[in-house]
Amino acid sequence: MQKSRNPHHIPTVLVANRGEIAVRVFRTVKRMGLRSAAVYSEADAGAPFVRMADAAYSIGPAPAAQSYLRADRILEAAKALKADLIHPGFGFLSEDASFGRAVEAAGLAFVGPPPDVLAAMGGKDEAKRIAEAAGVPVLPGYGGDDQDDAALERAAKEIGYPLIVKPAAGGGGKGMAVVRREDDLLPALASARRVAAGAFGDTKLLLERYLPAPRHVEVQVMADAFGNVIHLGERDCSLQRRHQKILEESPSPAVDATLRKQLTDAAVALCRHVGYRNAGTCEFLVDEDGILGGSSGGGAPRVFGFIEMNARLQVEHPVTEMVTGLDLVELQLRVAMGEALPLTQEDVTPTGHAIEVRLYAEDPDAGFLPQSGRLLHLRWPDEARVDSGVDEGAEVTTHYDPMLAKVIVHADDRPAALQCLSAALAETEVLGLRTNLPFLRTLATDETVAAGKVTTTWLESAYAGWTSGVDDNPVPEPAIALAGAAEAARILAGTAGPAPESGTGAVPPRDRSALDPWSTAGPWRHLEPGPTHVIVQAPTEGTSPVSAGERLVDVRGRGPFRVGDAVLVQADAAHEPDGTGCLRSGHGWAVFTGPEAAEGTRAAAVATPGLVHVFWAGQPYELPLGIRPRLVDAEGGPAQLGAPMPGTVIAVKVATGDAVERGQTLVVVEAMKMELEVKAPADGTVSAVLCAAGEAVKKGQPLVALEGAAE
Amino acid sequence: MTSTLPATFPTLSTLHEPHTEKAQENRRAMEAAVADLKEQVATAAMGGPERMRDKHLARGKLLPRQRVERLLDPGTPFLELSSLAAHGMYDNQAPAAGIITGIGRVSGRECMIVCNDATVKGGTYYPMTVKKHVRAQEIARENRLPCIYLVDSGGAFLPLWDDVFPDRDHFGRIFYNQATLSGLGIPQVACVMGMCTAGGAYMPAMSDETVIVRKQGTIYLGGPPLVKAAIGVDVTEEELGGADVHARTSGVVDHYALDDAHALAIVRDIVASFNTEKQLPPGMAEAEEPKYDPRDLYEIVPPDTRTPYDVHEVIARLVDGSRFHEFKALYGTTIVCGFAHVMGFPVGIIANNGILFSESSLKAAHFIELCNQRKIPLVFLQNISGFMVGADVEAGGIAKDGAKMVTAVSCSVVPKFTVVIGGSFGAGNYAMCGRGYSPRFLWMWPNARLSVMGGEQAASVLATVKQGGFASKEEEEAFKQPIRDQYDRQGHPYYTTARLWDDGVIDPLDTRLTLALALSASYNAPIPEPSYGVFRM
Repeated sequence: MQKSRNPHHIPTVLVANRGEIAVRVFRTVKRMGLRSAAVYSEADAGAPFVRMADAAYSIGPAPAAQSYLRADRILEAAKALKADLIHPGFGFLSEDASFGRAVEAAGLAFVGPPPDVLAAMGGKDEAKRIAEAAGVPVLPGYGGDDQDDAALERAAKEIGYPLIVKPAAGGGGKGMAVVRREDDLLPALASARRVAAGAFGDTKLLLERYLPAPRHVEVQVMADAFGNVIHLGERDCSLQRRHQKILEESPSPAVDATLRKQLTDAAVALCRHVGYRNAGTCEFLVDEDGILGGSSGGGAPRVFGFIEMNARLQVEHPVTEMVTGLDLVELQLRVAMGEALPLTQEDVTPTGHAIEVRLYAEDPDAGFLPQSGRLLHLRWPDEARVDSGVDEGAEVTTHYDPMLAKVIVHADDRPAALQCLSAALAETEVLGLRTNLPFLRTLATDETVAAGKVTTTWLESAYAGWTSGVDDNPVPEPAIALAGAAEAARILAGTAGPAPESGTGAVPPRDRSALDPWSTAGPWRHLEPGPTHVIVQAPTEGTSPVSAGERLVDVRGRGPFRVGDAVLVQADAAHEPDGTGCLRSGHGWAVFTGPEAAEGTRAAAVATPGLVHVFWAGQPYELPLGIRPRLVDAEGGPAQLGAPMPGTVIAVKVATGDAVERGQTLVVVEAMKMELEVKAPADGTVSAVLCAAGEAVKKGQPLVALEGAAE
Repeated sequence: MTSTLPATFPTLSTLHEPHTEKAQENRRAMEAAVADLKEQVATAAMGGPERMRDKHLARGKLLPRQRVERLLDPGTPFLELSSLAAHGMYDNQAPAAGIITGIGRVSGRECMIVCNDATVKGGTYYPMTVKKHVRAQEIARENRLPCIYLVDSGGAFLPLWDDVFPDRDHFGRIFYNQATLSGLGIPQVACVMGMCTAGGAYMPAMSDETVIVRKQGTIYLGGPPLVKAAIGVDVTEEELGGADVHARTSGVVDHYALDDAHALAIVRDIVASFNTEKQLPPGMAEAEEPKYDPRDLYEIVPPDTRTPYDVHEVIARLVDGSRFHEFKALYGTTIVCGFAHVMGFPVGIIANNGILFSESSLKAAHFIELCNQRKIPLVFLQNISGFMVGADVEAGGIAKDGAKMVTAVSCSVVPKFTVVIGGSFGAGNYAMCGRGYSPRFLWMWPNARLSVMGGEQAASVLATVKQGGFASKEEEEAFKQPIRDQYDRQGHPYYTTARLWDDGVIDPLDTRLTLALALSASYNAPIPEPSYGVFRM
């Protein structure tokens, strides 16, 4: 830190990361009066974190391997932007010791632990050994070099059952197996070795005591270069889905004062032992079932085991910040700039209860598949901390983590915090792509969550097969009306034409059509304005069987819009606290929010060509526009598909009752040496098969009867 | 291309005083007239009686106005024509003459839409229905607008066959027009949404591309009763001319629709395939609101056509920025000529400001030539009681000067638009591009009056030529009053519009946009080179 010795030099902090964490770090950097520098991939040009930074540098194409994981490009950027410190954020290169070394070799400060410590704590197995050496309880296990069946059997007996077998070189759960009884051990070992050999070329196995339903509790630590180590209390991250944390809180509802002292002492001891510096997290599994020999009843201390240390800032650090009132990024930067921690353990006084949930671009109704698309509308709660790296209008890609934002609440106690969380999530609106928001809302009011009884495996069993119901429930009337109004807004925004400027003279031919009154006059009629008519597809009763599911919505006005007797949307102002909405154009889509007069419920709707996204009563809806495809048939009942030519049926590929998709082959007819496939003209159900293989058929002879798409 | 011409047009000044008793009197009169117009139009727009509408809806059909609405591009205008056709005729049994016509955007293209109203006597053709249909085709021809026929009609209204069937511009003309319009490359599309009987069967058959709605549309030359009578065969309507017959067997229709919404979607797709584009004029500018509020028109225009006022005040409330480049402002001042823009479209305006003299006729003829040379459409604002009379003007050759103006108007090739904003009497109607002079469109304001001469003049003339004269003033008055009453009734815009002497009665506040939409639609047709007859010099 030679540069910082000049009192007039303002240090520059480069964040070797993107999105939400880059925004988070820059916020502190700016508050501290330091300079901020961003690196970004081509996909992130124009992202909020890039715009926020004082300087920015493009480091490559969208894939992380060609950008955010390229240490050389990042160092090149650091040189170009005259950076003094590099904050790695989390993920990407944050736990790559060689990156830390390269940063230091370039004469810059790495906002992280000494690289050697990072390397040591990076391997799970080695971290465990270090922890044991520091006197920190770890889960009983075996990682010895003697890999004979006999040696492993002996070790297993010592560890106890159930235990988990995992390849030492493994990752991602590959080759891992839970063994519940001694009899199952040898087959499990054989199987694990086979997978390990195939997948990793290394048959070494580890054994570890398996906790079927533990709690995940972690301790936040902070250490400086002068040997000062403090802890900032614990966080509980037991609410996980497939090892992905969803809800984190502090303090943990499962930790009492005794356990807290044990956990925090262990974490501080481990950091002192390794000479840790920077913010860090020691993760523990807490056994509430007495598996590790502790007593689960009678208030006796529960038993815990260290699992790993995250030598960096964590995603969930805000909950600690909320209860301690500290800025962890500021502490990180001060330590990295060579300062001593500005506080001692006695100065840390956690108050209240904080909860964070992670909002992911994942469809909870499709196995939580990551979603991509444009964020057409975003609204964050007023009374909560939201750490987000995305803006309305941003394109969410699958190149990076699908997390959109973290919503963090803080209250006097846990019940109050959960209440705040529900309220905050009720105010959160995301349109354009599906998110886990409906799922988070459900969790916020879950009784088991309220009781603080969850374990790391609870979610997957308690919520197996859960759906939001949005795809099954009838679409409420206000949502249909909103969809119509949003589409009318989109259409009429496009007809408004260029802003009238007097005396601008004749216009070039290309632009004339935009001035054409047929394009700009809106739904004008003689003597009184007409409606803008919109067909919204929604699973509701139609006027005829053919048009069932189509709603004709007549929208009046150019904002506010009227549908029927209800004034739906007050246009003009954006996201005003009073609930009046905005209407924007120029992006090919229009946005508004507003109260539905009768019910005072907040709503939002965004129309894109062919599809309207609506937020109503806490639920998102995606409603297609225009008429549904018609299945043209002969009789008005089921469609009968006739033979295209006289010939012989050589295959019947469907049976009565089968659901078929458009384009699916139903029957194959051989005629004139050609095999002609009779395909479904639309989605539907086979109501009758009217031919059989081998049958000679005349041209037009009915082969299959189809019913229209199931309503 | 970046001419700054419009900005250089000077802004008109105004002497209008809104708070005078006269202005408020005028306002009240115009408001009452417009309110009544709205009521009359709303009544006609309902179509047939309620039970007929209910019956129509019960069959799963959309009402005719719903059909037109769904056909149009959402959020775009509809320039309806003659919405009070047949007003006060046929015992009021044929509201809007049982047919909706108008120009609307379909798939981005201005089209002439002709839609039968089956709730009005089964969509049968009264004399005025025929006239409205043929007029729509005439507008389509002059402006090269594709025609879309939403057919739901039982054919000619038989009790009035002698006024529907035999003459040149009667029922048969519809199919003649379809053939010749198609021949000009103006697409003809029919969508059969109900009956299409006898002569009506030719409506789809004569079209370029056709759609039929299953179990709703039928096309046949002779219906089941006629078939039974003629050849003794029992046959159902569906068997005779249903969608399946015509889409699968006869080939009379090209597209098979399951319901009205489907059919209209197919029509929209057909129009989307036309592959045409209109050419907007080079002089087009960005639209600008008039500097003076058009709502002042209610206060400026007096209810009695005999009350004079300065027509500049009207022009100032119709044109962009109230900017007007006046031609010969100091010569022949009883007619006002000049260039302006209406919602961005360059126009030449000819407006009456008193009766026509030789000078005013010559000035107008000159100005019409200018507009033709520059290919700028003409807008006539008619408020004319006629040409000056008397020995002096006759000796001065007013007849030949008037003839020059009539020749110029007649031979003009730029699109002409006429708005009758006051009186339209006698030869003034001719010179100012009355119906006989083929303006592309002609509209009346509710205060307008139209006749061969004023009621008072007609009564006086007839009283003068009456054999034997009158014994007393009272007797003369008793003779003249019925004549005045007749002229008042027949000169009223409802009477004229009922008979298709115009294309509709409009609210003065709608004039700008109505003109602009019509101007825009006119650019679907190219403007040819002018060629004049002999001007009597």
